[in-house]
Parts: sequence; structure tokens; C-alpha cells
Amino acid sequence: MGRYIARRLLQAIPMLFMISVVLFALVNIAPGGPLSGHGRSRRIRPEKAEILKRQFGLDKPLPIQYVIWLVGNDWMRVDADGDGVTESYGERRGILRGDFGFSYRNRQPVLEEIADRLPNTIYLMGVTLIVVGIIAIPLGAISAVRQYSVFDIVVTTLSFMGQAIPEFWLGLILILIFYAWLNNPFTGAPLLPSGGMQTFGMGFAIWDRIQHLILPVTMGMVGWVAWYSRFLRSGMLDVLHQDYVRTARAKGLSEHLVVYRHALKNAVIPLVTIFALDLPSIFAGSLYVELLFSWPGMGRLYYQAATGRDYPMLMAILIIGAGFMITANLLADIAYAYLDPRIRYD
Amino acid sequence: MTKKLLNLLVVISMLAIAAPVAVAAPPVQDGGQDYVVVKDDWLSKLSDKYLGNLLAYPAIMELTNQKAAQDSSYATITNPDLIEVGWKIYIPGATEAQTFMAAYSPMAPAEGPQGETSIVILVPEDPTGFNGLVTDTGYEQALMELVLLGLTDIDPQGEFYLELAAEMPTVENGGVVVDEDAWTMDVTWKMRDDVVWADGEPLTADDVIFTWNAIADPEGGIWAEGLDYTDSIEKVDDYTFVVHYNTVYPNYRIQFGGENFAVWPEHYCDASQGFVAWDCNRQPLSSGPYILEEWATGDYLSFVRNPAYFEAGKPYIDGVVVRVVPEQSVSKTMMVEGDADLHIWPSESVANDYLVAPNVDLSVSPSDRWVMRLFPNLAARGSVDPVENPHPILSDVQVRQAIRMGIDVDTIVDEIFLGYSKPVWTEFFRPPYICDITKPEYDPAAAAALLEEAGWIDQDGDGTRECHGCKTGAEEGYVMSMELTIYAEYGEELELAQQLVAEMLGDIGINLELSMFEGTILWADYESGGIEQQGDFDLDMWDDGYPGIDPTDHIWYYYYSEAAEPDWGWNVGRWINEDADALIDETYYLDEEYRQEMFCELAALLDEELPQILLFSAFDGAGYSARLQGVQATVNDMVTWNVADWKIVQ
Repeated sequence: MGRYIARRLLQAIPMLFMISVVLFALVNIAPGGPLSGHGRSRRIRPEKAEILKRQFGLDKPLPIQYVIWLVGNDWMRVDADGDGVTESYGERRGILRGDFGFSYRNRQPVLEEIADRLPNTIYLMGVTLIVVGIIAIPLGAISAVRQYSVFDIVVTTLSFMGQAIPEFWLGLILILIFYAWLNNPFTGAPLLPSGGMQTFGMGFAIWDRIQHLILPVTMGMVGWVAWYSRFLRSGMLDVLHQDYVRTARAKGLSEHLVVYRHALKNAVIPLVTIFALDLPSIFAGSLYVELLFSWPGMGRLYYQAATGRDYPMLMAILIIGAGFMITANLLADIAYAYLDPRIRYD
Repeated sequence: MTKKLLNLLVVISMLAIAAPVAVAAPPVQDGGQDYVVVKDDWLSKLSDKYLGNLLAYPAIMELTNQKAAQDSSYATITNPDLIEVGWKIYIPGATEAQTFMAAYSPMAPAEGPQGETSIVILVPEDPTGFNGLVTDTGYEQALMELVLLGLTDIDPQGEFYLELAAEMPTVENGGVVVDEDAWTMDVTWKMRDDVVWADGEPLTADDVIFTWNAIADPEGGIWAEGLDYTDSIEKVDDYTFVVHYNTVYPNYRIQFGGENFAVWPEHYCDASQGFVAWDCNRQPLSSGPYILEEWATGDYLSFVRNPAYFEAGKPYIDGVVVRVVPEQSVSKTMMVEGDADLHIWPSESVANDYLVAPNVDLSVSPSDRWVMRLFPNLAARGSVDPVENPHPILSDVQVRQAIRMGIDVDTIVDEIFLGYSKPVWTEFFRPPYICDITKPEYDPAAAAALLEEAGWIDQDGDGTRECHGCKTGAEEGYVMSMELTIYAEYGEELELAQQLVAEMLGDIGINLELSMFEGTILWADYESGGIEQQGDFDLDMWDDGYPGIDPTDHIWYYYYSEAAEPDWGWNVGRWINEDADALIDETYYLDEEYRQEMFCELAALLDEELPQILLFSAFDGAGYSARLQGVQATVNDMVTWNVADWKIVQ
């Protein structure tokens, strides 16, 4: 197993390299560029655009830009002041030495910005995924065991609704009900906050944090719960008709043991794969949830970078995201082997 | 079994959704009591048990702390999540708790020492910093007004006012000296000598010179208005400096102020980091009314009053919180609920909602700046040369005139922009340069006649005209069909306006295909595939206008022939007109009367030639809570321009 993991990790290196070339090309070739205005400055004065172009390094051919992005330019002379003379060494170290550059948007190191946002996203998405697991697995399992019961029908109906509901609309409705309409009968303040991670100026308080989580987690989990519970239900139904379940029953095991030890454990295996593949969203965040609930996470950071053509930020998020994706795939395979002893990697 | 399952379902759904709503009937306890904390107690549990509400725990906490202040046997609770066994706390009676909680609002950040006031300003995106010259989304400027000062500024009526300057230099008071022979000019600025930075250091001419040199630094600097005209700045004494210009520069009065420029502290900012990237941009040292206290990226910025602010007694409000709320409907709800005090740039429909909301007022800028306009491309698509490759339809001025006559601007303004916009038909519609140009009439019949005259006739009866003897050089039978492009960021209103324009022009036989692009694509540079710079459009529609009160540069960049070169200006319709060039050259003078005359001659020429078809002004305003006094939206600055004067009235 150790060798297998080592091999997979080694394979990831050329893969990431290829991905980086393709992404760099795509990001730069896509129409539009960082030299146009945004917000109220519709256009940038040509004199300003010229300065920005040089400061962003966009005055060099694309392949050179890629090389600088990869290995930096502190080993070559650059023309920092635009007078046509390359007089000083560059300052970029390149991503191979951990320098992802600075954001075109606010001139801050890209990694710092990501480090600011990432914990917020992991926090929100982590809680969401845990809640999803807690709700979806019992729902799916019970509706499979009690196939065609009222419970099953209700869960099935709800999960179709959950999959069909537009996430953004659901969020708006949640805000309307729990922020605008319902009030805390004691304080008269809205029952739940409209967004943000905590009440400003309050310091850390568990209950306050939970209040701020309820709506975004609800919005983010509905689609997932629906999809996971459907998935588990069909997996479970499949397993319940397997011979080994019949054997377990024939042995005289209690129904509880049959269902929860023999059947559920096997039915969960494919779900683990899916779950592992969803793990990168812990990094990527959910744009709609973050937009609606003013959550300072990765989804908004990426959206902002994409709409503003902030190439260094885009590249950093995409490359780190690709790394997460590759890791999640590896995790899925390992978890698979662990849960299903028939699978061997060598 | 079924029933049991249904019950389970109900319980689950209640847990999932309604848990926080579940407020049991309170086991009423009248009159407060002392209580000693035992194992497994926590505040919300006690609150639930004695007050019937989990959420009333702040009542216990705060009232206990009040008792502790007088009687040390009570514990002091600093963290509501941490209470220790054996602590003596005070649990208020139900009525007492209710009274307390009614006055206590954890949502409003107006906590803290008694008597502190604080407001919440909503912005839709995380500002990049406090430097309006580097990034101009408007929100950087809104923040800059809180912490930094310039020499001069422009008020909502378009009048200059002084900030750091002691007086406005003019030719009359000797502040401006023009060398008629060399065609250069010197401007002497006198500054206030009573302004200090928040750390107590005086703000002097050195800071201004330091700032300007940092901007002008070719490596880490950025372009600023007046940069190309300024040769050098010379210090006379601590509060006086002279600017040497290489030409006569009419807009000198706002060069060291206005909405984008601020004076930065020499002793605090690190010039070696470069003006565009220095840490100051995100951790500024204040000279303005507020001091940045904390910045949680993407979430909020908090500010406290600057005690060293030079205007005595100001600002009136102790604290400002700027919260990032990306979704406008959420901003609106927060305003209506009273959780926010200022919403910058609401859309027209949200502005309308504020008009009727009892606790929200709307401030509308007294003058307009952004004008929604059609840019007709006079060169053929994909070409930047209107002489060699004229546009098959739009290069004929009669067609452009017909388009203008065929659009019912009043209807668009009333129906879509809810009357917040006003029809505009000339660049010179706002003070100080107003030219008397007759408002064009909406007359579809005359427009149709004009098109017939121009050789655009619908012979096949399909509702769209074709070229039959048209004068643009288009081949016989060329169909009068074009693309009308808008940008995506404006929102739904612009899309509706686009549809309405297409419908109106469809009625006079001009077929328009509709398209929409992001601004970053529409306005990008030539190499990045910018649609306008490459000339890859027929007609596009968006809003622009000039900052401040001097249109000279704006006019140059839109109408001068050199500005038609890709990436050298915004004359993307490629309108080349020698008369216009000559008139624009004549506006770079100081004599206001002469400038006015030249501008108005140009206005008449533009009205005839229609290189752009101006339609209507775009709304500029802000929603603010009714408890706030002194808010005045302005196109000459961000709405926070006079934040030091704002007051909270209950």
C-alpha cells in the first residue's frame, strides 16, 4: 500500500505540471484582460494601462510569463521602470519556490489572501459536509429498509424537491423567513443573522457562531442531502438483495445487525468514493452560499478573481484546487481499499 | 408504525429547520434570584430553564456583571461560553430579562462603553484598500474619505472646497503664475498648519511632495491626473510648495485632492515598497476623521473616531463599520430591518423600495455624471480605419440621426429607470459647462423618412430595410441588421433598456441582434481581445462620464482623432474630425469664458455629427437609515465625502 501511495504521488507531479500549462494558457487566452476597468471606472486611462501592464508583467510574451510564474525572475534582469533598459533583477521567486505572485486586484501576496479565506471555507464546508452525512445516511438507509413505506415516499419526494430547488432561491427564502420575518420573541431582534461569520464586536461565542452557521449550512446542504440519500437508498436496496445478507438473516442475526452491520457498511462503500470526490469543495467553497450570506470564503475569492481577470489569484486557486482534486482521488482509492478488502492495489 | 414514522419525520424536520424557533412557554419566574453555578450548567441552559428562552443568556451575563461592579461576591462573566462551578451569578426575573433584552441588540454593533454611537455601511465587494488612485471601484474612495485628506475637494453642487489647503490658488491671488511665452505655469499652494496625523506628527508640504514623488516613480507608481503636465514640486516652507507645470493645466485645482488623491504620510509609508503596493494602502495612518481599527478581509472593516482630527468636535459618530455584503437583496433587507445605516449605489428598484420604507431614506445626487450612451462604430467591424473601411450602415450621419430620432428616451427613463434617470443629449449638461442644445424629439416617422432619404428602403417587405442606393458604400441589398452590445454588470435595467431600444429601432426598420459581455471583455486592451479597442462591434451601450468638474480630458479621450488609435484613447467609434480636434485643443486654457465658448461650439458639432448618441443619466444615490443625518450623495465624490458631519438622531 505504501508503495502504491508513493507511486500515485509521484505520478501527480507531471500531472500537475501539465495541468498548470493548460490552465495558464486557458486563463490568459480567454477574452478580456486585467487592464480594463471594473466597478465604476469603466475604462482605464491608456497611460495607466501601460504602467499596469509593466507592473503585472503582461508586456512579455506568454511563454515567458509562464516561466516567470513557475520559476520566478530573480535570476534575470528586468526593466522595472519602463525606460527600455533592463537594469535590475526581478523579485518574483516562482511557484516552485512557493511564490504565487501578488494579486492584480489589491497587490497583496496571493497566498496570504488565500490563507485568509481558506479557514473560513473549510469551517463552513466542513460543518456542512458533516451535517450532510449525519442526515443523509440515516435517511437513505431507513428509506431503503422501509421501501415504499410512507417514510420512504416522503423522503423520496423531499429529496427530489431538494435536488430541484434552486440553491440561490432557497437561500433568499431562508433569509426572508428567519431574518426578515421571524423575530426573537425576547429581544425583538431578527431570529437569525443575515450573514457574516459572527456578530461584529462580540468576540468568540459558540452560540453566536452556531447562529451564523444555521442558514448557510441549511442552504448548502439541501442539495447534497437529497443526492446522497438517494444514492445511499439505491445502494442499500441493491445490497439488501445480496446473498450475504440473506445468509446473515439465515444465520439468525437480528434484523438490526443485518441492516446496520452487514448491509449498511457495504452500501456505504460507493458513497465514500463520491464523498471523497466532493471533498475538494471544502477548498473551493460554495459561491452562492458565500455570496448570499456574505461569507468571506474561497468561492467569492475565486469569483472575484475570475470576473476581474486577476490571473495570479486565478492560477493559484486553480492549481491548489487541482492538487486537492488529485489528493481527494487518491484518498477515495485508499478508502475504497480499506472498506472493501477484495480490492488490492499493487 | 406509519404514525411513528410520521412523528419521527416531523421531529427530524423540526430539528433541522425549526430548532431555534422552538421557544417553549416560559416557566415564569418573577423577581430575580441569585444562583450558584453547579456542574453541567451553562448560560443558555440556565436562561432556558429560568427565563424560558435559550437566547436570553445575555440578560444573565450583563445583569450579573452589573451586580459584580457593586458587589464583588458576584462573578464577572467575560465570556458567555465559560462559567465556573461555584460562581455566584444573578438570574433576572422574566420581566426584568425581557426589558433588558428589548434594549439589548447583539446585531447592532453599537455595543461598548455607554453613549458610543456607531453606524454600519454596506459595500458589495471587499475594497482593495484605501488608495483610490490604484483601484477605482468607488469603494476604495469611500474608505479613503474616512481616513485620509487631500488639499481640495468638490462638493455635491460642483463647487471646490478646501481640506488641507489654506486657500485656493488663483491668478487673482497670485497663486497661479502663467508664463505666456513659454506656455508654462507655476502654482503655489498654501496649506493649513494645524493638521496632524493620528500619531501626532504634523502634516506638511513634505508629505504632499513625498506622495507625488511616490506616484511619479516609474517603477512602483501609477498614473494620476496632471502627471504628464507636472515637471516638479518645490518646497517653500513646511506649509507652502510650488508646482511647476510644463504647460497650462486648467484642472490644477483638484490635482492634489478630489475623490482619488490623498496625501500620504512620509514618516509612515515605505516608499521602497512602491506607491501601488505599500502596506499603507491597507493599514493607513489617518489624517481624516476615522482610524482603521480592524480589517477582516472579505467580511468587515471597523473604524474608530480619530481624536486628532483637525475639525474640532468632529466626527460626531464614534465608530463606523464597513460590512461587505455582496448580494443586493440582502443589503436591502438589512437596511429595512435597521441593521445597516448606509447602502451605496442601490439599483433603481431598490431605491424605490427605500422611498416607501419608513426607516430608510434615499439621497440622490443633485447633479448627474454617468450618461448612458450608444457608441456607433463608424468603421467596419473588426477594422479600426473608418476611412478605408467605413461601417456599411453607421458611417452615414443620417442613419445615426435617424437612430436618435427613433429612440423614445422619455419612455425608457420612466418605465425602466423609474424616473431616477433624466434624458441627456449633450456632454455639456452639467455645471459648470452647460450648453444650450435643443432636446432631440422622438419622431419615428421623421426617422423613417430620413432612412428612406439615406437610401435604406424595405423593398422585400420583411420589416427590415436594405440598402438601395445608400451612401455608405454598402452593396445593394445589404440588410440593415446590426448587433447591439451591452455590459453585464449594470444589471437587469440595462437589459430591459437594450430590449426596448431594439424594439423601437425595429419599428423603423433597423434590426438589432442583442448581445451582452462582461466589462472586462468589452473594455479590455487591444491585445487582450477588447471588443471596443478592436472595433469588433456595431453599436454598444453603456454609461460613462467624467470625474470632477473638468471635462477636458474626458472630451479628448472620446472625441480627439488621436484617441481613435487602438489603446490610445476611447474614441472607439473612430470618429475623425479636424474641426473637433481644433476645438478640443482650444480648451486647454485657463480662461473660463473662452473654454465655455469652445465647449459649446464643440457641443453643436457633436449634436450634428453624432459620434455618440447620448441617451440618459444613470442614477447615483444612496439609501440611509432615517436615524442618520447629513448624508448627501454626490457624483463628484463618494457619499462618505462628509462623513465627519454625520449625526445620529434618535
